[in-house]
Amino acid sequence: MTQPSIEVQNIAYNYGDLRAVKGISFDVQPGEILGFLGPNGAGKSTTIKMLTGQLTPKSGAARILGRDIAKDDPEIQAQIGVCFEEKNLYLNMSAKENLDFYASLFGIKNPDSMEVLRRVGLADRANDRVHSFSKGMRQRMMISRAFINKPKVLFLDEPTDGLDPVTSASIRKTIKEEAERGAAVLLTTHDMFEADELSDRVAFINDGVIAALDTVENLKLKYGARSLKVRLRDGSKVREEHLDLTDPGFSARLEVLSSSPDLMTIHTEEATLEAIFIELTGRELKG
Amino acid sequence: MSSPVSRPAIVGALLKKELKAYSRDKLYLFLTVLTLVAVSVLFQFLPKSVNETLALAVTPSIQSMVSGAQDTLKGLGATDEQLSALDNVDLTEQQEGLDLVEFASEEEMAKVIEGKLEAWRTDSGELVLRDKKAGDAKPENAKRLSLGIGIAFPANFIADVATKKNDIAVTIYSDAGVPAEIQGAMRSFVREAAYQLAGQALPVGMPAEDTIVLGQDRAGDQASMRDKMRPMLIFMILLMETFSMSALVSTEVLQRTVTAVLVTPAKMGDFLISKTIFGTMLALTQGLIVMLVVQALTPQNWSLLLVTALMGAIMFTGVALLVGAAGKDFMGQLFYSMLFVIPMMIPSFSVLFPGAAATWVQVIPTYPIIDILVNATIYGATWSDSWGSLAYAAVWLVVLYGAGLLALRRKVESL
Repeated sequence: MTQPSIEVQNIAYNYGDLRAVKGISFDVQPGEILGFLGPNGAGKSTTIKMLTGQLTPKSGAARILGRDIAKDDPEIQAQIGVCFEEKNLYLNMSAKENLDFYASLFGIKNPDSMEVLRRVGLADRANDRVHSFSKGMRQRMMISRAFINKPKVLFLDEPTDGLDPVTSASIRKTIKEEAERGAAVLLTTHDMFEADELSDRVAFINDGVIAALDTVENLKLKYGARSLKVRLRDGSKVREEHLDLTDPGFSARLEVLSSSPDLMTIHTEEATLEAIFIELTGRELKG
Repeated sequence: MSSPVSRPAIVGALLKKELKAYSRDKLYLFLTVLTLVAVSVLFQFLPKSVNETLALAVTPSIQSMVSGAQDTLKGLGATDEQLSALDNVDLTEQQEGLDLVEFASEEEMAKVIEGKLEAWRTDSGELVLRDKKAGDAKPENAKRLSLGIGIAFPANFIADVATKKNDIAVTIYSDAGVPAEIQGAMRSFVREAAYQLAGQALPVGMPAEDTIVLGQDRAGDQASMRDKMRPMLIFMILLMETFSMSALVSTEVLQRTVTAVLVTPAKMGDFLISKTIFGTMLALTQGLIVMLVVQALTPQNWSLLLVTALMGAIMFTGVALLVGAAGKDFMGQLFYSMLFVIPMMIPSFSVLFPGAAATWVQVIPTYPIIDILVNATIYGATWSDSWGSLAYAAVWLVVLYGAGLLALRRKVESL
């Protein structure tokens, strides 16, 4: 097994009396996308701030690419890319100037800013100042900035929050490409569809603790019903039938129903991530 | 892993970005250029010299008073020898600092002082009165006289004084704008004239020198408005940069771009150093431009002035960091800027209103800076004259810059 790109052991942080993160542990392998799901105030952003050096954990330990984050090692920063929730771009500078500036902080002599902008569909606006960009374009800029140093570890904090479906899909595609390149991705979101689509594993964080951490499939199997919902036309009404996958007569019954002229739809009854989260925490993700 | 980027390279990249951000902020760029142009233009219009001559109106003419006195005194039996002494009365003599303008009538003189009539003196010395409202033409080859005070003597003033007559009334006309000190001086002038005419000495013993000047005697070489404004303009330019620098810092904090910078190999120290260098260079460059425009630099003072300007620039950068960290929005940042800048301007007014600065003014951090600038540009102060003020300025510099660094660091860490 390869060394995890991110290793977190029991880290905690509190803002005064408020315990934002209460000792969480997880790891992220190279090329893996770990979805960090939780409602607002659950501790997602605080965790990212600790791992990116913006906050110092009050307790616990964490390693990025095998290096201790407590040691303020500049080589950690050289290998990470961060996409913040707020669009903290230099508005009076052009898209290319923004990327060139960040590249210079990494010591990149000839940054391939145009290629990065092309990947997020902003190459034709490279020389326009960012203040003229729409919200979606600014978010794509945020993503491209996180990629400028070809990071081995990516921290993406709500990368598609509030964006239209087309822009969101474009950004998700780019995130997947980065993971395929080998980057470990820690993705915080409260969008269950995004987590479902992108994440290899999902961690449910609530009230500063991880309530569950597993692959999406395992979570769905563990907490969802192993059954099919079959909808059939019954005169002027619609009739539903639930087939238990573990029932010995499942295959025979399914064959009968699937050949029926009254068959309308067949759906699996696996749990959604939202439903699992509610079951585990008693809270909704959008909170 | 790749080798980490060097600290100087990071600071260089941050400075390049600062310059770009500053040059893109049209408001502050415009204000900077406007201020520099305005200062240059204003300086050119400031008077280069000080008119130390006081124009004094008198009526009737001294000559008519003397001739009238001669007739009166002759009738009282004065000898020719005694009468010839009156010819030596030097009231008409043009003394340094006093320009007597003789009027034929008290009414005309009063109107001129009141501003209802204009008094002009032709190249040949003739006094011409002009009633502008009545449509009188401007006299040719003549210079307008500025008369704020005048003395109306009785026609037989000299004879009355010489015969030691009591209850002699002399009227002093004064424009409302004439300072009380000048009015007092005119009363003294009349008394002295009376004593002189009466042939008596003033009842006060005077030393061989009439006045003992403490410090450098600048009689005939007083600091002109241009001289006074020179250090003030340098100081103001340095101070004004607080606004634009604090805006740059505030924008970085409010838009949280600093957070994005600090997750790269750039550290908090790099960020603070780049802000300090940029703010200081910004203020110092403009200060240097103004020093050159106002011709403040001399072979004797250039090094002292540059060091003082550098200290001022760092001090004001510290203030800008403090203000930039405190402001929660544009208005807040403007409010805090004014809160700091206005009190810090106060010592500079001591240039326009000379005299010992009040103790509370001397406590203001900018006092030693303006003190050195004034003494170096006006009074030729050198390094040896300025050590005290430099040390005092250094203390305030450390305090303000330290406070600015601390405030900004805490603010950024709390984002």
